[in-house]
Amino acid sequence: MAERLAKFTSAMDRLYEFDREPVKPDKLQSGGKFAGLFAGEHVAATEFVIGAFFVLHGVTARDLLLGLLIGNVLAVLSWTFICAPIAVRTRLTLYWYLRKIAGPGVTLAYNIANAFLYCILAGAMIAVSATAVGLLLGIDVPALDAVLPSSAGWVIICLALGAAFTAMAILGFEKLSRFAEVVSPWIFVIFVAGAVAVLSKLGVERNLANLWHVASTRVWNGVAAAGQQKFGLWHVLSFAWFCNLAMHVGLSDMALFRYAKKWTYGFYSAFGMFPGHMLAWICSGVMVAAVGREMHPGLMAFEAVGIAGIGAVLLAGWTTANPTLYRAGLALQAVTPNWPRWKITLLAGTATSALACFPVFFLKLLDYVAIYGLVLMPIGAVVFAEHWIFPKLGIEQYRAERRGWAFNWAVLAVWVGTIGVCLMLPIHLYFKWLPGWFIAAGAYTASAALAGERQPGAGRETPQAGEEAG
Amino acid sequence: MKTLVAVMSILSLAVCLGVPVLFFLGVLPEHSFKAALLVASLAWFFLASAWAAYRKHPSKG
Repeated sequence: MAERLAKFTSAMDRLYEFDREPVKPDKLQSGGKFAGLFAGEHVAATEFVIGAFFVLHGVTARDLLLGLLIGNVLAVLSWTFICAPIAVRTRLTLYWYLRKIAGPGVTLAYNIANAFLYCILAGAMIAVSATAVGLLLGIDVPALDAVLPSSAGWVIICLALGAAFTAMAILGFEKLSRFAEVVSPWIFVIFVAGAVAVLSKLGVERNLANLWHVASTRVWNGVAAAGQQKFGLWHVLSFAWFCNLAMHVGLSDMALFRYAKKWTYGFYSAFGMFPGHMLAWICSGVMVAAVGREMHPGLMAFEAVGIAGIGAVLLAGWTTANPTLYRAGLALQAVTPNWPRWKITLLAGTATSALACFPVFFLKLLDYVAIYGLVLMPIGAVVFAEHWIFPKLGIEQYRAERRGWAFNWAVLAVWVGTIGVCLMLPIHLYFKWLPGWFIAAGAYTASAALAGERQPGAGRETPQAGEEAG
Repeated sequence: MKTLVAVMSILSLAVCLGVPVLFFLGVLPEHSFKAALLVASLAWFFLASAWAAYRKHPSKG
């Protein structure tokens, strides 16, 4: 067992070898690069679904605007005050920093969990694209409460798209990434164009005099669709905040911010949040209202802007599933030593295509996003505690690395325990992560303190490889 | 050439944004708006790809 684990972790280390060393000062990037990265990354296929679901969940116009505004500000602040400072001080990816804290065994488990979650997310993106193809072929989109595939046609489309996306990811991931750079601004424009185009259909006058009236009575009118839970301000606010929980509070964007000159570059995340997670969500809400509140991204876009809309839904799914498949493959490669890249991508793509057939992942996307963040969030809390709280309390840092542990069992227990406690908390799924973060950080700090690892001198913070530049 | 391609690609994206506004204002009928949007979208893909290629290989410009 120990030999097998060593084999896996050594294979995993080789994969991430290229970013093992802290980023050198000459490799730091300008703020403009961060603005561009965030702007390109947060207008995805899922935006067609999320904004539309707020309408179906009966959010009012006032709650939507206020919730998105505050929630996205909180998300930006989370990147700025939680993720970026640790990334800038360590100049390491979460992978290597977690390895110091939790040991290679826990890091391996984290990677596998991440890979599985990525596959589901990519599957949801394929399903969104499938609605566009289904529209062209006359195949119905599964009903809102569907869990299993609704028809053979739906399965065939999802598998065919999954196979096509996987094949293209295998044949030319880098070329497709460059193509995605071209697609991304256009998709954002299609969101805006679609919303503007359906305004007259919704009854908005040309002088916009009744815009707010239409928004609050015909779009976000506060009436939930049949079978959908009623959402209010706090649901929208919390969702906008935790939508990228794994990236900011969960710290996976350390990979990005280790290249930042200053921790204040976290503010550049606003370039992704406000166009993507505010404007695009508002636009998809307007479009779904114009098609009689039918959760059908392909139909929404087609009715609004015609064939270009079909293309936008298809390309949005394709270009966003591609890097997700890549990341899933990278994470999976740890447990399949010596497999070539194509084989790993094929494995991830096959799993993703199979998952895409189950409409529950795209029709329950909001809940899935909440679970995704909840599962990875405790690791971010553990790293935060180890980085900031341990030195303050004089608790020894990086015990796994210093003592050569494969598993820091305290991290594993806190990770699993926090998820268990969160799931039992008698509050809405969207609100569980916040107390969960404090539980994880508190439990991990207490476990280290109680283990008596407060050694004279050992608690002082270990000098960081890349202290803040500038 | 690079500058021309850049300007043209930004213009095509501006057309993508402009035609739905014209449709909303009643200046363009629906079929013309959708056709214009499709053409402008194709122009964007062609021109923006060329622009990206120029940025990658500046010597071409």
